[in-house]
Amino acid sequence: MSQATLVRRVPIQKIAKSLLRGLVLYGISIVVALLVNSLFIAASGGNIIDAYSKIFSSSFGSWIGFGQTLNKWTPLLLGALAVALGNRGGVYNIGVDGQIYIGAVFATGLGFLLADVPIPAPLIVFLVLLAGFIGGGMYAGIAGYLRAVYNVNEIFTTVMMNFVAVFIVEYLATGPWNDPIAGEAITLPIISSAHLPSLIPRTGSHLGILFALLMVFGIWFLLNKTRLGFHIRAVGDNPVASEVGGVNIRTSIFLTLALSGAIAGLAGAVEVIGVHGGRLILGLTPNYGSLAILISAVGMASPTIILGWSAFFAVFFVGSDSLQRSISFPAAGVLVFQAVMFLIIMWIRLLHERGSLAFLGEKS
Amino acid sequence: MSFELLVDPSLLQLALLMSTPLLLAALGELIIERSGILNVAIEGMMSVGAGVGFLVAFFTEDHLLGSLAAMAAVALMGWLLGYYGITLRANQLIIGLGLFIFGLGLPSLLYRIAFGPQMVAPRIDLMPSLAIPFLSEIPYIGPVLFDQPLLVYLTYLLVPVLSFFLFRTPLGLQLRACGENPRAADTLGVNIIATRYACVIIGAAIIGLAGYFIPAIVTATYTDNIIGGRGWIALQLVIFGRWLPGASISGALLFAYIEALQYRLALIAKSVPPQLFQTLPYIVAILVMIQVYQRAEKPAALMQPYNREARG
Repeated sequence: MSQATLVRRVPIQKIAKSLLRGLVLYGISIVVALLVNSLFIAASGGNIIDAYSKIFSSSFGSWIGFGQTLNKWTPLLLGALAVALGNRGGVYNIGVDGQIYIGAVFATGLGFLLADVPIPAPLIVFLVLLAGFIGGGMYAGIAGYLRAVYNVNEIFTTVMMNFVAVFIVEYLATGPWNDPIAGEAITLPIISSAHLPSLIPRTGSHLGILFALLMVFGIWFLLNKTRLGFHIRAVGDNPVASEVGGVNIRTSIFLTLALSGAIAGLAGAVEVIGVHGGRLILGLTPNYGSLAILISAVGMASPTIILGWSAFFAVFFVGSDSLQRSISFPAAGVLVFQAVMFLIIMWIRLLHERGSLAFLGEKS
Repeated sequence: MSFELLVDPSLLQLALLMSTPLLLAALGELIIERSGILNVAIEGMMSVGAGVGFLVAFFTEDHLLGSLAAMAAVALMGWLLGYYGITLRANQLIIGLGLFIFGLGLPSLLYRIAFGPQMVAPRIDLMPSLAIPFLSEIPYIGPVLFDQPLLVYLTYLLVPVLSFFLFRTPLGLQLRACGENPRAADTLGVNIIATRYACVIIGAAIIGLAGYFIPAIVTATYTDNIIGGRGWIALQLVIFGRWLPGASISGALLFAYIEALQYRLALIAKSVPPQLFQTLPYIVAILVMIQVYQRAEKPAALMQPYNREARG
């Protein structure tokens, strides 16, 4: 028998059908989620229709808004990639916020060190970003080491280290690196040549999103085209079998967590030199790490699917920010908004998987 | 630093007080995990308990109503976890994390809706402490052990009650069977689904009460991130206590002692940055868990959804 007969071609109608089914499925999810979230807007005293149109007009309606959306997309995408990489390798990295902070600390620290060194601006930017990458990687590497060697659950260690990271930043931003003029928890700025150039002029957007997109490709390539990525996925899918197959589980778990943290750390560096003018501030991450967990779960830990969902969440992040100014919709609303979105999407998806949504047909 | 400082009665009294929310939350979690469900939303649940309880207590000026509201709200979250984890057989970790994040945001959102921007944080009266006659007059240990709020006594009373229930009653056996071998239990006529639902809802209500403890007995106010990792530590206490109610006590006391001690240290050593002391509880928690994880043995069916129709 020739090989060709074994490969069944998938008819185009079938692809179109499953695509349509996906659209309907997520369309329903999003509509239900928007309805549920209306309750919170109404409770805050806002007009629901005004609020939703404000969400979209503020994130898409102007170039500035669009730039804002790109800027929020960057840490959400990088954070979700970090969580997703961990999931694929069988670990849950709940410490993205902490790693963002430590990445930012390393980036700022290197920025101060390089203040008087004559090197060209692009190189400084690169070095500062690299510092963030390494800082986040080392921080998550501690949790990776504890999991690999002592079998300490990484969810717990990464969460605890989030709290520690906040105190480290608070100490630096109010203590040795504090900018006495700017006020409370904020550091002096690092040299301006280390600032991230803007992507589209006069929109306030920075180059960070390009690095994040590059990282999507990088992680996809790592997971699907390299030996290390194969090992990472093998450990994530079936640790016992992969150990029998000769994969060193401990090394794989350590590397997965360290790399996951490194991606988060890069996001921290980008925030410092892209958004905050080279300053490290307390509150650098408004729960990016938590939202990253939701995005990664909704995107089924696939780098390419995450790309879309993180953009969607970024739109709502910017939108909720503007609601905060217009109808004083609380900042905590962002978390609730996105968590409700997550719960509803998972709900509809699970119902579909159980075959409870008959009108959508069989699950392919 | 003198040794007397470390065993100062008021420090130990505070440690016992602060151990209570940890222990209570761990007991709630233990009930849930013994039935085979892992609830990682515990930090978010405590946060909802703290926020909802605070709001109700503020407007009704009644701690009993505050407690009940906290328990009811979090019981609802428990039901939600049950619906996803038991009925829909979702990955309990992922749903738990989603509920955790929901729980972090919801109380802060409700608080802002209720009060708007405030210059002075609204306060409730702290739950009074209840000195037990005679016992509280014993020198040294009297005020440490027997001059505490009612909730502290109740929590420590719950430990033997729960132990007896789990290991000496048929219903307790039924509960544990759901977490160890649900298929065998099902064969013997135990309703796995109903038992697990009951455990998730009751356990969540207890966790909610543990959350309400913080504003009602410690802070008198609600702030963002009020739980500050106590939920995650309670989650680890269950493992620390090897899923036995009594064995979590020493862990709860240890973590609470470190927490109480860091306030003292910050007062004495003014030249040291306070943040160094504030990180202590988290770092100690990690160090302790390194030891604990070497010998942890969880309920056999933990995190495994039960499907009656599936072939076992």
